This record gives sequence, C-alpha cells and structure tokens, in this order.
Amino acid sequence: MPRIPLMNILWARAFCRKCNTAGRGLCTYRKIFMNCIVFLIAIPCVAAFFLLFLRCSILRGAIVFFTSFLVCCASIFLLVTQFNREISYFDFVLPGISSAMTVIKVALAAYIFFIGIKHKNFVISGLIALQVILFLSFEYTHGHALVVAHNLFIDKFSVIMVMIVGIIGSLIAVFSLGYMRDFHEQYHKEIKDNRGLFFFLIFVFLSAMFGIVCSNNLLWVYFFWEITTVCSFLLIRYKQTDESVRNALFALKMNLFGGVAFIAAIWLLYQSTGTIELDKLILHGGGIALLPVVLLGFAGLTKSAQMPFSSWLTGAMVAPTPVSALLHSSTMVNAGVYLILRFAGVFQVRLAGFMLGIIGGVTFLIASFIAITQSDAKKVLAYSTIANLGLVVLCGGIGTYEAVWAGILLIIFHAIAKGLLFLCVGIIEHKIHSRDIEDMSGLIITMPKISIMLQLGMAGMFLAPFGMLISKWAVLKALVDFNPVLAVFIVFGGTATLFFWVKWMGRLLIVSGEPRDLEKNISLTEWIPLSGLALLTLGICALFPVVSSTMIEPYVREIYGVSIAMSRGNIVIMSIMLGLVMLFPLSFINYGKNVKVVDAYLGGANATPGTSFFGPGGKMTAMETRNYYLTDYLNEKRLLEFGAVLCLVLIAFMFIVSYW
Amino acid sequence: MSNLKKSPWIIHYDGSSCNGCDIEVLACLMPVYDVERFGVVNTGNPKHADIFLVTGAVNEQNKEIIQNIYNQMPDPKVVVAIGACAGTGGIFSECYNVTGGIDKVIPVDVFVPGCAARPEAIIDGVVKALDVLEEKNKRLRAMSTGLASMSIERAEPKDLKEILALQKTAFQSEAEIYNDFSIAPLNQSLDELTADFKDKIFLKAVIDGTIIGSVRAEVKANRCFIGRLIVDPHFQNFGVGTRLMHAIEEACGDVGAYELHTGHKSKRNLFFYKKLGYKKFKSLKISESITRIFLEKNRR
Amino acid sequence: MNLLIIIISYIVCAPFIGGLLAGIDRKITARMQARVGPPVLQPFFDVMKLLLKENLVVRRSQNFYIWFYLFFIIFTGVLFFTGEDLLLSIFALTLAEIFFVLGAYKTSSPYSFLGAQRELFQIMAYEPMILLSIIGMYMVTGSFYIFDIVRFHKPLVFFLPGLCAGVVYILAIKFRKSPFDLSMSHHAHQELVRGITTEFSGRTLAMIEVAHWYEYTVILGFVYLFFAANPGVGILSVLVVFFLQILIDNVFARVKWQLTIQSSWLVALTAGLGNLIVLYFVRK
Repeated sequence: MPRIPLMNILWARAFCRKCNTAGRGLCTYRKIFMNCIVFLIAIPCVAAFFLLFLRCSILRGAIVFFTSFLVCCASIFLLVTQFNREISYFDFVLPGISSAMTVIKVALAAYIFFIGIKHKNFVISGLIALQVILFLSFEYTHGHALVVAHNLFIDKFSVIMVMIVGIIGSLIAVFSLGYMRDFHEQYHKEIKDNRGLFFFLIFVFLSAMFGIVCSNNLLWVYFFWEITTVCSFLLIRYKQTDESVRNALFALKMNLFGGVAFIAAIWLLYQSTGTIELDKLILHGGGIALLPVVLLGFAGLTKSAQMPFSSWLTGAMVAPTPVSALLHSSTMVNAGVYLILRFAGVFQVRLAGFMLGIIGGVTFLIASFIAITQSDAKKVLAYSTIANLGLVVLCGGIGTYEAVWAGILLIIFHAIAKGLLFLCVGIIEHKIHSRDIEDMSGLIITMPKISIMLQLGMAGMFLAPFGMLISKWAVLKALVDFNPVLAVFIVFGGTATLFFWVKWMGRLLIVSGEPRDLEKNISLTEWIPLSGLALLTLGICALFPVVSSTMIEPYVREIYGVSIAMSRGNIVIMSIMLGLVMLFPLSFINYGKNVKVVDAYLGGANATPGTSFFGPGGKMTAMETRNYYLTDYLNEKRLLEFGAVLCLVLIAFMFIVSYW
Repeated sequence: MSNLKKSPWIIHYDGSSCNGCDIEVLACLMPVYDVERFGVVNTGNPKHADIFLVTGAVNEQNKEIIQNIYNQMPDPKVVVAIGACAGTGGIFSECYNVTGGIDKVIPVDVFVPGCAARPEAIIDGVVKALDVLEEKNKRLRAMSTGLASMSIERAEPKDLKEILALQKTAFQSEAEIYNDFSIAPLNQSLDELTADFKDKIFLKAVIDGTIIGSVRAEVKANRCFIGRLIVDPHFQNFGVGTRLMHAIEEACGDVGAYELHTGHKSKRNLFFYKKLGYKKFKSLKISESITRIFLEKNRR
Repeated sequence: MNLLIIIISYIVCAPFIGGLLAGIDRKITARMQARVGPPVLQPFFDVMKLLLKENLVVRRSQNFYIWFYLFFIIFTGVLFFTGEDLLLSIFALTLAEIFFVLGAYKTSSPYSFLGAQRELFQIMAYEPMILLSIIGMYMVTGSFYIFDIVRFHKPLVFFLPGLCAGVVYILAIKFRKSPFDLSMSHHAHQELVRGITTEFSGRTLAMIEVAHWYEYTVILGFVYLFFAANPGVGILSVLVVFFLQILIDNVFARVKWQLTIQSSWLVALTAGLGNLIVLYFVRK
C-alpha cells in the first residue's frame, strides 16, 4: 500500500470518484476505511485482554484512557471521511475468521449451558442448546456453499451508531475508572474487586457493538450479538450478590430467546433468498419472506427490552451505574432497535410491521405511566429507556421514511441524554448514599454542577427545544401522516413523561436545611465524561439540523428515494428558543438584588430556622414534602402484566400474519 | 387616587375572638355590602396582602403567629384591628391567658371599635386604612428616591432617642438568628446610650430629616473599635452600611487598625465585613448560643 | 417589516385584551352573584398596585423562573399570532408552564409545592386534548401552520365537532377556573392558600398576572381556529365560549385532581379520538 498523506485521506472522496461509484471494489482509500473499521473492532478487544490481567490501577487507567482516545479518534475519523460518501462495502477476508468465530461461539455456548445447569435454570440451558444446534447445523449444511461478498460495510446510519458507541462508550469507560475506584474503596468494600474483569467486559462489549453496526454478514451480526448478551450477563452479575445473580440470569434468559429467533431467522432467510448479507436482503425490499424478518424484529424486541421482556432491563439496574449507562441505555439496547430500523423498509405497509409498531407504542405508553410510580432514580431511568425504545420500535414498525428519520433522531438524542443521566445518578448515589428521588432535595445547593447537568439531561429528555422533544415531534408528524389514530400513544405517553421528569427536576430545586458541599472528591475522570456528555447534549440540539441534513436525510433518501426536509423557519425558531433557554444561568447575575428574604408561608407558625414550624402541642416540626407517585392508581405489577399479555397477543398475531 | 387605594388586598386573621367580628368581616365581602366593588380581595396569603385585618385578642399562642404574618407582608402595609378584643383585649382583657390588644405585638394603624364591629364600621376603618397606606407609600417612595440625597453626619444628642428606636428595630433580626432576645443592643436604655455618646463618635445617615442608619466608634490605644452599625431594614442592601463604615473609618482619624465584632451565626454580617477588608482574628464564647467573632483591618 | 409590526402590536396589545377579559369576567361573576362587582379595569389597578409593592422571596433565585415564564408565554403568543407552526407554539407554551412550575418548586414552601404538583396534573389533563385537536386540524387542512389553518375555506368545526367540544371542556382547566382551578385560584377561592403563586409577591406576582393575560389570548386564539373561516363568527364564538366559562365557573365547585384527569382523558378519548377515527375513515 503506497504511503498516503493524511490530507489526501480526508479528501479521499475526490480521488475515489475514479474508483467505482457504486462503492464497491477496494481502492487504497477504501482499504483505509476498512482497516479503520477493523481497528475499531479489534483495538478495544486487544485492550480488553490487557485489562483483564492488569492489577495496577495506574496502568489500567492509562490503557483505558489511551484506548478510549483511540476509539474516539477512529470514530470521528470515520465520520469525517464518510459523511459525504455513499455506502461502502468491504470484503474483509481473513483466513480462519469464521472458524475462529465458530469456536468462540461454541465455547461461549458451553459456558452458558454450564451456567444454566449450575443455577438450575434449565430454560437457559435449553435455549442455548437449541441455539447451538441450529447454528452448527446451519454451518454444516450451508457453510461451505455460503458465499459472502462483503462482510463489512459502512453507511451513514452505521456511522451514526459508531459515533454513539465510540464517543459515549469511551466517555463512560473513562468515567468508570474513577467511579469503580470509589465503588470498591469507599462504598462497597464488601464486594470483591474484580475490576480487571469489569474493564475487560466493557471493552469486549465495545468491540462487539462496533461489530454489530458494521457487519454486513448476518452471521457476524449474530456472533457479535451473542457476545453482547454474554457481556451483559457477566456485568449484571458483577456484584455477585444473590439479587445480582438472579437478575443476570433473567436477563440472559430473555436475551437468549432473541438469540434463538435470530439464528432461526438466518436459516429461513438463507433458504428463501440464498444470501445472508444485509444489503442484498434489504434490496429485496418487500419481496422477501416476512417471517424471518419478523423473527429478527422479535430478536430486536428482546434485546431492547420491550414488553413483555421489559423486566430484564429494570432488573439489570442492580449492576454498577456505568454498566447501566453503557449497556442498558446508550448502546446495547440500541442494537435491537438498530436491527429493526434497518429492516424498516420491509416492515412498511405490512400488517406484521404495523403490529410491531403497536407493540412499541404500547410499551411506550405503559412504561411511561409506570415510571410515574417509581421513586428509585435508576428505575425511573430504566422505564424511561424502555419507553423511548418503544417509540423507536414504533417508528421502525411503521417504516415510512418520515418514521425512520424520526427513529434515528430519537436514538441519537436518547443515547446522549440517558448516558448523562445515568452517570449523574451514579455520582449522586455515591455522595448521598441513596437512589431515592425524595432524598435528592436541595441538590441544587449541595451539588450544583451535578444537579445542573442532571437537569440538562432531563430537559434533553422531554423539554422543547431540546433533543427528545424534537424527536417526539418528528415521530408525531410521521405517525399523523401514516395513521393519525396511532398518535394517541405519543399524546398520552408524552404527557406522562412530562409529569415524572418535572417532578424530579422540582425535587432537586427544593431547599431546606443547611447547605453542605458534597461535590468535593469527584475525580477528574468523572468530571470529564460528565461535562463532555453535557456539552454533547447541548451541542447536538444546537446542531441537529446539520446532523439531520448531512447524515440522516441522505440515509433515508438512499433507502426510500425521498426524504424529509425540515422547514427552515422551524429550525430558526427552535434555535432561538434554545438560545433563550440557555440564557437562564445568566439571570444569576442579579442574584439576590432588590429582594427581601422571608420565610415561606406556614400559616404563621414559622419557627426558626428555615422551614420548621410549630406543630401540634407547640412542638417544632420540620416541614417535609413528598411528590405524588400515584401508586393508588397505577400499579406497576398490574400494568406490567397487562402490557405483557397485550404484547404477547400482538406478537403471536404478528407471527401468524407473517406466516401467511 | 393611586393604585394602592384602588386595589387593596386584605388578609384576615382571627386571634382569639368569639368569631363575631370575623362573621361581620365576611359579611362585608358578601353581596349586601360587597367590598369587592372597591377592588378588595380577601387573599389568605400575607405575601399578596396590603391590609392586615385582625380580630380577636393576643395570647401566648398567637403572638408569634401574628408577628410572622406581619413580617411576611410586603411593604407598604397597614394593620386594622377590628373589634374590642383586637383593640384592647375587650371583654377578655383581664383573663390570665390574654396578653391584650394587637398593638402589643405589631404596630396598628386603625382601630375599629365594636363588639361585634358592624360591617359599615369595618368598611369605614378599611377606607381610613387606605389613606394611611397611601401615606406610607408616599414616604417609602420618597425615601427610596431620597437615597441619592442621603447624607452622613455627626449625630447630636437630640437624635439619640431615634437612634435607640432604630437600634432595637435593626437588631431584631440578629436576635432571631440566635433566638436570644436578651442581647445587649435590644436592651440598652436611653441613659446608657447618652453615657455612650460622651465617649464615642456617633454618625447618622439621614434622608429628608429621617435617620435611617447609624454607627458609633471609640478610639483607644491607636485602635478604632467600631460597633452598633445599624440600618433601617427598609434601606438595607442599598449600600447605606458600606457608606457608614467608610465614613466612620475616616472619622476615627489616624489609627493603626479598626476592630469590630459580630456573632458567629451572622453570616451576612461576616460576609459584609469581609467584603470591606476585615479579617477574623479572635473568637470568644460569651453565652450558650453566641460566640463572638472579632474582626480587624489595618489602616493603610 | 409587516412581521415586526404584528409582533410589536401583539406584545403591546395582548395584555390589555387579556386584562379586559379578566375584568369582564369579574364583573359578570359579581352580577351573577347579585353583587355590584369591581370596575372592569380592576385587573389593571391590581397589577399597577403590585408593581408598587416590595418583592419578598423565600429563595433568592425563585423570581428568575417567572421572568422566563413570562418571556416564553409572550414568545408563544408571538409564534401563534404570526401564523407559525401550531405544534411548536404549543410546545413553547408547555416550556413556559414548566418554568412556572419549577419556580413554584424552587420556593420550597408546602403550598407552592402542592400547587406545582396540581399544575402538573392540569397540564397532564389538557395536553392530550390539545394535541389531538391539532392533529385533527392537520388532517383537515393538511398543514400544521396556523397561517394555513386560518385560511381554510370551511369552518373547521364542521369537520371537528367532537374535538371542538373537547377543547371547550378542557378550557376551564387552561383558564384555571372552576371546576378545575386546582393549582391556584383568582380572587378568593382559596384551597391551598394561593397555591402555586403563594410565595411570589410584588413585581413577580404582577408578571404572573400579565403572563396569564397573554395566555388568555393564546387560548382564545386556539378556540378561534375552529371557527376561523368567518372572522365575525369566529370572534362571536370566542366571546360565547368565554361567557360559557364564566357561567361554568360560577355554577360548579372545585373538583379533585383525580376527577379532572379522568374526565378530561375520557373526553379526549371519546369525543376527541372518536372524531379523529371518524375523520380517518371518511377520508379513506
């Protein structure tokens, strides 16, 4: 390969016009991109193995920083060079790679089988056995005949996912350094320090995610998919308490259902179309058999914790917070909806797709209402994640170009905001030793920077003109053009989300009692990712028109031939709104001028200090307030049961309809 | 007629009455008498109210409550004591538990006699209160615009009575912080103050002939001991304190350093003195609840 | 240039219109109660008086939220009356309401706290209906822009009778009038002292009042959209609806928040969604 100056790489597009506008073939520049993808998949894996065996925390920190930095750079490199290119396909040929994958697959399967036996969870053993049988028999019967032209590819949607995984993933990995140190040395001394394994799993997981979004070969996607399942299981189990093990097994079980569906789908797809390459499959459009695609959709539902599988995600909240942030809100669960959105073109105008969409919509509605009843902050975030993923599934199921555009937008905004929220909650949990929202009173005074970032994340989830509002607006428009009656999901679910976010935001603002400073001793490794994500939340809102026009709209146009153009007027107005809301901190310049501070009105029975009053018998009583959780009207268990039954019926219906 | 007169909002509190006067007050709001035609609204919230209608006498239980409600009303405000009980304790004035009329705890502007006071009398009283309100507002406006015309001068013996009254008002908030109303500034007598006047330099801040602030200092052994910096609560946060401090520091003449003290919980005072360049150098526990912090500043 | 004139005239005139409406409300209420009642210009006297009063606070930063509340309400009004996207206007309105609610939370006082929670319930109650009506308008006119909706050749109420009835139902919630005056009450109908506005005084309270006047114009503007094809009929209907609100205010007592949400959602699902479904099938 000749030496190529860096500048030329960045202008590769100009040079690559010579080579084949369909984007296939392998000129030198495209070799670089392919190597970049391989790099992204391989490097975290290599780093992971180093981290597994390292004991020294300084070296560990250095490797984590270095790898994260490399991953970030590589992701950005891919963005910069790819954002104006068409889809590129690469035939990545490495001798023995499929045999290696098979060996790893079987080894992992054996491990899981053994785990199932050990914990007497025979469903798990049964499922993994079924998967292995299907997989091996597929390999045996079709392996030699299988010809895959291109194993890897990169298009704008993949680039978006790469960016999300790369940037948010690296920031969270860096965050985990400081967080896990405090976790083991200060707050949970009773838990065995297994940080080597922890970081190993985090980085293997990052490799696997890159693999999922860059693979064109469905078998490879399946391979990486299963790796993420195993990583998730081991990470949830990290604390090794009974509760953790139980929840980890449950998560494993749910994801294995998806795994079985996946391999079955691969079988059926190969039998009906003779190929397992994503691009060729999508090209078939509505022509391919629906059942395998529905099976893939089912796999996506399990991975993204939609109803009736949502309990695994809420159960996974026992894991340390970086795990929740990385796997269970920003990246792994996005793999499921990523798959569904890929096949959105197939789901469009099909009844099965419509059913899938309804499942997503029902999940959104029910999860939003359940979130109102939760006072555990991580549970609230978990249900909110389930709800938003439900919205993306709704978009994927509907499958129109507007819906796909909205869905991708949702993924981006949700990943960033949720990551930020989880990290903030993690730090708060360490500092105030509680995850309960009602204990977060006065946080605006005791932890001002953290609570501002928390509020920024929350605003990003539901408030205009921030991200999620824009996405919800886009979904609303997409739904209205497709079938307005579906809008009822968003309309009611949206108001529920508003309620529980504002409740929480308000709780942070209420101050009673003496101010303390809880923000010391937060390490730099924790501040950098937090500030980074906070800035990203703001930045991506400000820049979303750019993101939309350069990345999402071209992708949608490639698939559907037509795309949305956001009206310029609205963009201008939203930017004005964003700018004005950002002026809010400026108001503190006038803090305390021209006002006189008095006590709150407590019927005149104020006692000093502050918010105490003279209660019955003249006893000084502190004033306490507690938010409404509506537990009398919304019962988590019953709602979950109702949702599960409804969605199971819908899933059954979906399969029946697709079979015909 | 100013807008204050056109839109008087009232808050009504019943001290310990038989509720007779309360019913008459409510009757005023009802269709027959209908005070709403004057814009009167019965808000139940002191922060929204202009007129404090009090019925019933004061006893131990409601003394603080009445004070709290009064303090939580924004200026300008007036108090109307309705009925015999609110005026003097009425028929219950000699009971063991009754302290007396409302004026024992807060300044009252209008007394409406009667047992029960008739609605016509109540409305009459409210209208009179509106005039008082108007007066107070004018004074307030004049004072705050008058701040520009504030002057700081040496105090004279005839000002001492006014300064003492101001001292007691201004130190109320300090006493509340420590929950100790026996502190020296609140209990100084006029004679003690006159004796003080001989030894110390007294300065006063005047607007339109009214004293709104004062400070005193004593020079001993090349040090200037500054104390009793007081500013009328209505004029706090306008820079009056800073100007008084600058003036007294100048008036002390050629000294090596300035010294003053305040309580350990008086965060705002500590912040204020720190802003002026004072640093803490000593602390002394003078009682269970109060530790005195001493601050000093070197003269450049 | 034209746009600037519209914006400035809205910002200047809307509070007068809103205040007059509030004054007429009080006068009619009083007459219904066999009283004389305050002069029609009373709300203006109230606001002017409040500006003369001292500004008391419980927490020093609580007033900032109200500044932003007022500002974004004006922003909403400007968006609405310059014919912009209806959805965006409603989102801006929600943003403004959130600032109001957060300001009340910030005061850390129990009555404000309860008032804020009740205000959230009110938002939960009316938002589905409003969004469903906007969807209905989109289905009929094909556009989300107020500019287009107003110029539609037929009165929308013929296509959206259910939605119109639903909107009139939830109007009492938006106006914060009985039976849905949960979070705060004008005049003397106390329950939570002054609810969400308890800890605001002086100039800030005046700003809240003015913000409510701007809100009146936006709400009534929304009702006008249903009858926009004929401006005369439109304005008349708006006035009739407003009178209806005053009448309902005087006839009904305050209900609990549970009933508020249940009844509004029931209306939204039956009249509102029903209307949409019928429209969908008729169009097919």
